Amino acid sequence: MPENLWALREQKRISVAALANRAGLPIGVILEYESGQRSIEPRHLNRLARALYVEEAQIRLQSEPRPGASPLERQPARNASQPTAGRSAFIAPKTKERPLRFRSEPLPPGPARPSQLAALDNLLQRLERSRTTLESELGRPVTELNRAELAQLLRKLQAQVQSSRSPARHRAYLPESVDEFETCYLTAAQEAGATLYFTLFDGSTAEGQIVGFGPFSITVRQADSSELTLNKLALVSYRTAAQSAGQARQTPGHESEPPR
Amino acid sequence: MSLGDTLRLLRAKRGGVTPLAIEAATGLSARVYRQMEQRYRPAGDEDAVRVLAEYYDVPVAELHWRLEWSRKDLSRALARATADARPLTLELWNGQTVAGMVRWWDLGAIGLATADEELLVVQRHAVQRWQPRAEE
Repeated sequence: MPENLWALREQKRISVAALANRAGLPIGVILEYESGQRSIEPRHLNRLARALYVEEAQIRLQSEPRPGASPLERQPARNASQPTAGRSAFIAPKTKERPLRFRSEPLPPGPARPSQLAALDNLLQRLERSRTTLESELGRPVTELNRAELAQLLRKLQAQVQSSRSPARHRAYLPESVDEFETCYLTAAQEAGATLYFTLFDGSTAEGQIVGFGPFSITVRQADSSELTLNKLALVSYRTAAQSAGQARQTPGHESEPPR
Repeated sequence: MSLGDTLRLLRAKRGGVTPLAIEAATGLSARVYRQMEQRYRPAGDEDAVRVLAEYYDVPVAELHWRLEWSRKDLSRALARATADARPLTLELWNGQTVAGMVRWWDLGAIGLATADEELLVVQRHAVQRWQPRAEE
């Protein structure tokens, strides 16, 4: 015996939207079918039957309107067995109270992981501290700290490492890939207004105060106020004017000619 | 001057011919020349050195010995001298020999404190050989 579409849907306790979603049909079409405004098209019948888990023959092609329902019913009430008086049973109340979900208490943090302890030792080594001093500050062995406590401690120590690490110290580990030492030397010489004495590959020398420098060249102001840019590739070595006096003393092992 | 720096200098003297053109002209396999020129560690073998010596028309020995004195070897010697607080002697490309304690070193230069505690800044590309050599 075929039944109305809305009756079948209510038996299955699904909403119009859910049925439309399952059947892949617009909600408006479902509402029109349920209100009896139009009969179910044959191409939609199979979809609706599969969505409702019923046989096609169980669905009435032309539904009879639900008694007391408006011509076009909208969203059904979730609790269809208790229709709201004066309103459509399919209009869901907005302030529907849901049953409180039981929530269990969060599990206590587990013991510290070995990797956390290894990270702790690594950080302490970088801070040049020992585990003993840390434990005396904490008042208990670090092995008694749980996972969360140790994670918080690691974050704190990591911040200390970050704040204590100066850029120079950090970069000095790879002096082969930076040029900051020569840059610092030239900067200091420039700020001091020192005269530098340069020895070039072709045997010539040059001297002057640094005007500017870059990765590949050094520009100096010579005694006659003219500027000279020296390509570093053309340089063998250089030293400051104050040191040039010492160079003139023919330091052992340094056989270069004293600068002018 | 390391083999890479020497090759770069020779290439500049040739008017800046590209590594790709050199590889094509010498028959070296792809990227070998660029590795020999750009890598800090020794790259290339004796055959590659011989081919390049012929290409640049320089004695093979002039390039060959530099395989044993790579830029990485100099870094190792500088690090060892710094750690051991021992003086380092540098033989420079222009025939000079300088000695002193390594105060600092970086990508392009070496700060060498000579015997009278004066700082001499030596360009790395000017260094040919050094003593003592550090073991790998």
